[in-house]
Order: sequence, then C-alpha cells, then structure tokens
Amino acid sequence: MRITGVISLGAALALTLTACGGSGDTGNDGGKQTISFLTHWGPEQVTALKAAASEFQKKNPGVTVDVRAVPFANLLSTLRTQGASPGGPTIAGIYDLWLPELVRDGLAAPAPATAAADLKANWPANLVDGITKQGAARGYPNEVDLYALNYNKKLFAEAGIAAPPKTWDELVSAAAKLTKRDGDKVTQQGFGVITSWPAGVVHPWLSLVGSNGGALLDGSTPKLDDPKVLAAAELYARLVKEGSTQPSMSNANANTTGPYLDNFVNGKTGMIIMANWWQSALKEAMGDKYGDVAVAPLPVGPGGTASAPVSYSWLTVVNGKATTAKQDAAWKFLAFLNGPESGKNGSSAMADILMSMGILPSRTSDLTAHKSDLSDPFIAAYVAELPNAKPFPAVLGGEAMSQAVQKHIENVVFGKETAQEAMAAAQKEVADILTKAGA
Amino acid sequence: MTVRTRSTTAVRATPGRRAGARGISRRAAAVAFLSPSMAVIGVFVAVPIALTFWISLHDWSMYTPLSEMSWRGLGNYQDLLASQEFFTALRNTVIYVLLVLVVTIPLALALGMLLYFPKNAGKGVARAALFSTYVVPTVAIAIVWGALYAPDYGPIAQAFDAVGLDAPAWLSDPGTALVSLVVFHVWQMIGYYTILVIAGLTQIPIDLYEAARIDGAGFWRQTVSVTLPLLRRTTTFIVLIAIINAIQVFDPVYILTQGGPAESTTVLSFAIQRSAFQYGLAGQASAMAFSLLLVLVAVAGVVLAAMRRRS
Repeated sequence: MRITGVISLGAALALTLTACGGSGDTGNDGGKQTISFLTHWGPEQVTALKAAASEFQKKNPGVTVDVRAVPFANLLSTLRTQGASPGGPTIAGIYDLWLPELVRDGLAAPAPATAAADLKANWPANLVDGITKQGAARGYPNEVDLYALNYNKKLFAEAGIAAPPKTWDELVSAAAKLTKRDGDKVTQQGFGVITSWPAGVVHPWLSLVGSNGGALLDGSTPKLDDPKVLAAAELYARLVKEGSTQPSMSNANANTTGPYLDNFVNGKTGMIIMANWWQSALKEAMGDKYGDVAVAPLPVGPGGTASAPVSYSWLTVVNGKATTAKQDAAWKFLAFLNGPESGKNGSSAMADILMSMGILPSRTSDLTAHKSDLSDPFIAAYVAELPNAKPFPAVLGGEAMSQAVQKHIENVVFGKETAQEAMAAAQKEVADILTKAGA
Repeated sequence: MTVRTRSTTAVRATPGRRAGARGISRRAAAVAFLSPSMAVIGVFVAVPIALTFWISLHDWSMYTPLSEMSWRGLGNYQDLLASQEFFTALRNTVIYVLLVLVVTIPLALALGMLLYFPKNAGKGVARAALFSTYVVPTVAIAIVWGALYAPDYGPIAQAFDAVGLDAPAWLSDPGTALVSLVVFHVWQMIGYYTILVIAGLTQIPIDLYEAARIDGAGFWRQTVSVTLPLLRRTTTFIVLIAIINAIQVFDPVYILTQGGPAESTTVLSFAIQRSAFQYGLAGQASAMAFSLLLVLVAVAGVVLAAMRRRS
C-alpha cells in the first residue's frame, strides 16, 4: 500500500519532526538563531539568495540563514509535511492561493509592526491588501504575475493581419486566418489553449472572463453561471469547433512545459494567453526566433470595457509555529532581502533575483531601480496591464476550486461537455467546495 | 482408583512439565526470533495502516499536529460515495488495471517461453535487455516517454507519418491518454514479469516434456497441457503483483498528465495525492487510501480463491 504509506509516512514525519524540533541552535530568545528559507527557485536564483543571506549574516552575526530548495511540484507537499514542526522552514516562498489555509492553521505569522510599516510605505496598497488576512499582513509580496496575449508577429504577417485582436470577434477572425491545414489535419493553430495544468487552464480563461466583465467569485459565492462567464466558455467551444484551437496541441506536463509550449516556440501556434514569467522559457527555447514574439492586452469581450487579466503573486511568509526568536530573525532577514540596500543600484536582492527570471518585482522602489529592464517590450506590455489586473481570488478551498473549474473547461475543449453544461456543473461543484472549506 | 490415578498423574507429571517447559522455551524462542521482523512490520505496515484509518475519521490539513485533527467519524467515507471525482478515479483505475492485465499476462508468458525454450546464445542478452526497463527509475523514463509521445513532432508521431498514418494525440487526447500510460506501464514492467515466468518454467521437470513428446504431443499441446497448468502458481503470483502494481500507478500520471486531459488519467493514487497534498484534505485522502486497501485485499482474496478452486 504505497499511497497509504505515503500519507501515513507524511503524518509520521510531521509528528517526528514536531517531537524532535530538529534545530541546531537554542531556539530560545537571545541565543544564536538558525533560520531556514524554503524556496522552489532554480540553482542560479538559489545561489543569489545564498549570497544575500551571507551579506545579512555579516551584518547580523547571531543569525544563520539556511536555504532549502525543492522543485515547484514538491513545494506544497514539503510545507504540509514539515510546516507544523519547529524544525520546519522558518521562511517559505508561497503562492498566494495557499495563504488562507496557512493563516487558518497558524503557519503564516502576522507581520510585526516594523514590517507592517515597511509594507505600507513601500508596496502598492492593492498588493498589501492581497496578503492581509485576519487584519494583519502575512508576509512580503514578491513577484507579481499577470496574463496577456502573446502572439507570433511572423505568423501574423504571413496571415496578413496588421495588429493583434482587440475584441473577441477580432480574436476569432485572426485565429481563423492563422490556422493552416494540410487536408483535414490542422498543422498550425490560430489560438492555443493549455490543458492538464490547473493555473495554465484557469488563469488564461478567467482573464477572458474578466475582459468580458465577469468574475469567478462574488465574495465567496461562485459566479460561473453568469452569462458573462458562460460567454468565455462558449468562445473556447467556438474556437475548437472552427478548428482554430487544436486540443491535441494543448497538453502541459508536471514541469509546466510540453506540447503547448513547444507548439508556440516552433511557430505552430499563432496566439496564446500566458503570464510574464514564461519570458525566460521563450528566450531559451526560441533563440533568435524570440524576436517574433510580441505581447498585447487581452481582447475585450462584448460584455467588457477593458482588458482585465488575472494576476497572482508569490510572497514570503514566516512560520507562525517557529519560536519567537526565530520569527524575529526571519522578519529581520526578509526586511533586508526586500530592502533597497541588499541589491544592486538601489534594488532589493529579491528584485534582482526575480528580474533574473523575467519576473516583475513588487516593491515600488524596485520598479524604479529596474526601469530599464522593465522597458523591455515583452515585460513593458505586462507592466502596462498591471493597473487593469484582477487578483485571482485567494479563498479557503481555492486549489480545489481551481481544479474543479479546470476540469470543466477541459471538458469544453475536448467536447465532453457543452459550455452551458460545463459552467452549470462547475457552479455546483465550486459552491460545494467553498462551503465545505468554510470560505 | 484414587491411588492409581494419583500414580498415573504422578508418573505423567514429569514428562508433562518437561513438555510444558519445552513449549514455553520454544514460544520464547519464537517470540525472540520473530520480534525484530514483527517490530519492523508493525512500525512500517500495521501502524501506517492504522494511522491512515484513524486520519480517515477526521478532517486534517496536515499543517497542524495530529492532536488538532477534527473528528468526522465516517463522514469522509460518506463523501466518497457521493463524490464524482472518486468514482471517475475508480473507473479509470479499473480500466487501467484490466488493460494492463489483458496485455501483460499473455505477453509475459509468450516472452518467457520464447526466452526459455529455444537454445540460442543470445538469450541472456535478450533477458537482460528486457529486464533493464524495470531497473531504470520511472521518473527519468517518464520524461523520455513524454517526448516520445509528443503529438505531431514526437518520434512516434513522425514514425506514423512516415508510413502515411495519422498518429493519435497520445497523452493530449482524453480518448488515448490512459491507453498511452498503459503502453508505458507494460513496456516498463514486462521484463520483470517475463523473468518471473522464466523462473517458473525452470521449476517444471524436463521429463514431463520428454514424456509428452513420446506421447506425440507437439509444441502447442505441450504448452496447453504441460506448461500452462504447471505455471499456474507463478501465473497467480504474476496476476496479483500486476494488479497491485497497476492499481498503485502514480509516477507517470504525476509527471506526464497530472490526471488530465479532462480527468481521463486521474487514477486513485493520483486522486489521493491530490486530495492530501494539494487540497489539504488528508482525511478524505486517507478514506480513499483505506478504501483502496480494502479493494486490494478483496481482489487478492478473490484471485487466490479462484486459483485455489481451479487447483
């Protein structure tokens, strides 16, 4: 019984770690402190984080920062199995959708007064609001990601399309022109969607919903039966029916790569809605052909007035189960890491790390420090959309909700449900999930 | 009577005490020798199973200590019975297991006989090559298969194209994704099952084949009347192991499809992992895991009973 074992072993591990503590220091107030930082970043970013930690340690000899890196796919499970233990990570970089659960279970400590003041003074208010739960900020916002229309300029030129689509009608028309066939077989799709990856499915679709004036939730009430939401599902169904979207070209794997990415970088997909963070993946995969990529605001639906992409953020939280002394040391390190003296040319070390991946930082002074990097046409298009962005609702049960919506959108893409059936079923499932989760 | 009885009792008393002492000593020795292995089994099998059942009676996110779980009784099991996701996963698992069995067992028997009976010099190399797929870590191989299965531009799709056939979309199509995972599973495990068949064949006395030949039996007659009946125990074992391995499939689903597209490859093990680690519903996941254990025990019981009846 491998699965029975895995769950029990996770529980046993959590118990053992809770019992053992596992820290090499005193853990008490006043003694030498070792804090750990759990991240999913790659080797290059981990090296930069370690360098920042070394700088911090020079200025704070009583604190040692231990960086632990796990693959993205293992980040949440690592938090679940180790988070409750005093020897678990003191600081963790998390996806904001996970925050409500961490706050409920006491793993995301409230920011102390100094950190709260720092946040209020130096971060956009809407981002601080997003990480404020139960009346207190719960960490430092780091990266911000949002969605926009990515398109292949060369394919547009070949199809005789002068400008990216601004409306859904133009999107449908452009997608049809970009679609190429060899007999019955589609060899180039006009508009690509993503499947088998929750965020990759739901966020682009929800960005279209937002651009049609709709929303996933009203508070904690699902709005999937709203005609403005249904229209986005019908748009997908239409694109698939007309052959402009090929479901077989949509698959993603656990590494968030796969056919959907391959088809875009190989010039087999004319347009796709994706987040800013994939710029580095495009550059690496496309080489010289990266110059063919352009970014535009999302096409606006008949019910909308402006592009309204989904945004989400990552933040660093401090473990509320850690000792007070460790928590204090952790907040001090985060203030340094996110402060203007830890990086280059007035940037924070955190922003330098994020920009190395093509990810937007969130501290106001970091946006100034990286002004020239942010003027890169790809990134600049996303920066311009930031004021229109709508944060993905971070509620209890958010992950299950997201995957329920994913399932029904995929059912529409693969023709297993009509748009009407899919949204009706998703409405019911999401309502059940949120009720059960106590959202 | 009384005296004789006493006398008899007295006479028998000494050997009885000796036997009793010997029995106690044997029991003590048995306990002493079995304790280490029973302790290991207890800690790594019995305790996890009991703990899983205990967790299944609670709501638990895994972020808090076990002592802070909230009691739910059989609520998680009732939820399973009303859960479409659970039954989708159960249906996919059953289809997966049946496909694996239908392909694996005859193929393993055929390959086992092909690699056992002929007197060829290359048999050892062929066996090693076949077994090597079982040795390579699933994670590494799954990534390779992901590339092989890529629609349109993948090597398999290119091969189809080269002979003028339209390749399926493999993992990108709900209609073929589960079958694609079965093909991968069979490719990876067939060497292991073939070696088990060969091990079983070595236990069949060669005299029986000589006798059968003298009686005029050809290859097919020998196979049907000698080989297969005498491989029954081996086949039973392979069927059981194949069922268990197929039910527990997780790595390729996690790496290649994440249960998609459109839930077409969501099998029970993946649904359990997703509930526990992504949704934070460890109680529900444990209810699924414990139900899976019961299903496995029931299947094993049925297979063993059926085989015993036939024997």
